[in-house]
Amino acid sequence: MSNKLYSIIAKIMDVSESDVTDESGPETIANWTSFNSYVLLYQLESEFNVKFTIDEAVDVKIVADIKRHLKNHGVNFNE
Amino acid sequence: MERKLSEYIIESKKVNSSDFGSKIKIALLGSFTLDGLNETIKVKCSELKVGCDTFYGGYNRYNEEILNSKSKLYSFSPDVCFLILDTRNILGDLFYYPYNLSVDKRREFIQNKINELINLIKSFKEKSNSKLVISNFIIPTYSPYGIFETKTDYGLQEMVFDLNHKLNNICRDENSIYVYDINGFISKHGDENVFDFQQYFFGDVKISLSHIPILANDLLGYIKPTLGLNKKCIVLDLDNTLWGGIVGEDGFNKIKLGPQPPGNTYVEFQKYLLSLHERGIILAVNSKNNLDDAIEVIKNHPNMILRENHFGCLKINWNDKVTNLKEIAQELNIGLDSIVFIDDDPVNRDFVRETLPEVLTIELPKDPSLYVSTLTELNDFHVIKITEEDKQRGKMYTQQRMRVESEKNSTSFEEYLKQLNIKIHIKKADEFTIPRISQLTLKTNQFNLTTKRYQEEDIKNFSQDKKKIVGCARIEDKFGDNGITSVFIVKKDNEEEWIIDTFLLSCRVIGRGVEEGILDYIINEARKNNVKRIIGNFIPTKKNKPSESFLPNFGFEKENEHWIYDLEKYSKKPSHLLLLNE
Repeated sequence: MSNKLYSIIAKIMDVSESDVTDESGPETIANWTSFNSYVLLYQLESEFNVKFTIDEAVDVKIVADIKRHLKNHGVNFNE
Repeated sequence: MERKLSEYIIESKKVNSSDFGSKIKIALLGSFTLDGLNETIKVKCSELKVGCDTFYGGYNRYNEEILNSKSKLYSFSPDVCFLILDTRNILGDLFYYPYNLSVDKRREFIQNKINELINLIKSFKEKSNSKLVISNFIIPTYSPYGIFETKTDYGLQEMVFDLNHKLNNICRDENSIYVYDINGFISKHGDENVFDFQQYFFGDVKISLSHIPILANDLLGYIKPTLGLNKKCIVLDLDNTLWGGIVGEDGFNKIKLGPQPPGNTYVEFQKYLLSLHERGIILAVNSKNNLDDAIEVIKNHPNMILRENHFGCLKINWNDKVTNLKEIAQELNIGLDSIVFIDDDPVNRDFVRETLPEVLTIELPKDPSLYVSTLTELNDFHVIKITEEDKQRGKMYTQQRMRVESEKNSTSFEEYLKQLNIKIHIKKADEFTIPRISQLTLKTNQFNLTTKRYQEEDIKNFSQDKKKIVGCARIEDKFGDNGITSVFIVKKDNEEEWIIDTFLLSCRVIGRGVEEGILDYIINEARKNNVKRIIGNFIPTKKNKPSESFLPNFGFEKENEHWIYDLEKYSKKPSHLLLLNE
């Protein structure tokens, strides 16, 4: 599932997939604007069939945070 | 099916607006976040082969942008500016506590807001020639008064309703200002779908990400006619499109068309088509059928809404759909790219899409009860202005069909022209003709020497300029009035040389000597003013081949890039015309 997540992030933030790590975020990716982060969360909600709460959305700073919240919604990253 | 916003955002990075010949500049101003809208519009424009540059005014900065003549908005110099405002923002805390104010104070509040908008519009008009599209205000579905709201004098909902009403009134007669009915957008898609509380709290997103592309589609409805990309004609199949079943097999009495389902879906569809026809969209038929079977239904079926006189062209034969479409375009004298093709058969649709990509082929759903909504979804028929000519157009094309039949019965072409009794009424631009003159410059492609597009404001300015002649011609003949179908703009900056800036003729009247008659009029005017030479230009485009040889055939001679007419020469007006200067 990590690959799927990275690929979605790479597309929306317009970077190559290899540039995306768990530490990626607004500090490392120039296109990671606040608006693009809403677009990303909205896209992830539909791709993984989950619904984030506003607390989770606000809490997202880097990719690792997204992973953590997706895991809490039952998405499995231990493949 | 509308795509997701993320797809537009990804796609927009690949679009290079300088890749396209046709260009437009769009400004977006709003009282809340409009991110995503510009990316979507950019991609949608690129799919129309239009390069779109966008300017986004930033979060809630519309007042500064509009009031300050040195703002970035004006240095960007847009063609169309969208101003999207929202009710929460304009009402402030009154959105929650409207009843803290008395009725009179509430009325005063709304009047003040309207005065602010009047001021913004005035300022915008002084500083820009762009069109301005202002959204109206979403009427809240919530009221602190609950069910008592509608019993309340000038309550919250009525306040916003009144604001919208007043906004319509102040914009109605402003040619370059339009009101976008965003409240209608909400009615259609639902407040709970369009407004997402989480997105609103998280990022002040007042149009949810899922609905930004749908909103962009509505806004494209203003962009397309500004660029002259609106469609003029709907070409329709018959069996399973205008009626259910196949007339050749099921027979006149068995086709589905009438008050019972599913026949009622076809009746309703025809009513919508007729409503488009009545405001100027040409209808035509392209059907594989025995002519007699199909015509019998069109003429005599009691439940047909569309009759023979509603169609500008009927191709009912066994030719393939592409051949027929080409002939329809030719006979109606319109470009294939102004045609929308509607056919229930996916094989025909594929064939047309592949062979004639410039035709807009609609993906018609299998279920005829969805035909109407498929038609009303299209944003391709909008026009900046509906003129008297538009309303008459349908009838004019029927008259045109009769002209063609009369031509077939004449012994010679000269004979035919003579008995047409053509009258050309030349008129100068005035408040009645300016909208139509601008409209013709925006949409005439084929007989158009320079294809210069002018908005109404441009034409108005030209008409007040003593160094320019802006004229038009209304063409009449024994079959009827064609309305204003020709425009010319002449520049008189040099006393000895006049320049033809624009000369165009609607395709309906080409080839009857009218163009020579009008040019002869210009030449005579020039002679009266002791002008020595007239300079014409032909700027080739993909579509204006029909006017390519007009100037040389008339007697203009090439000199460098220009075509020159020496006024010492004798010119002749075709003898079958009557020229009237009004």
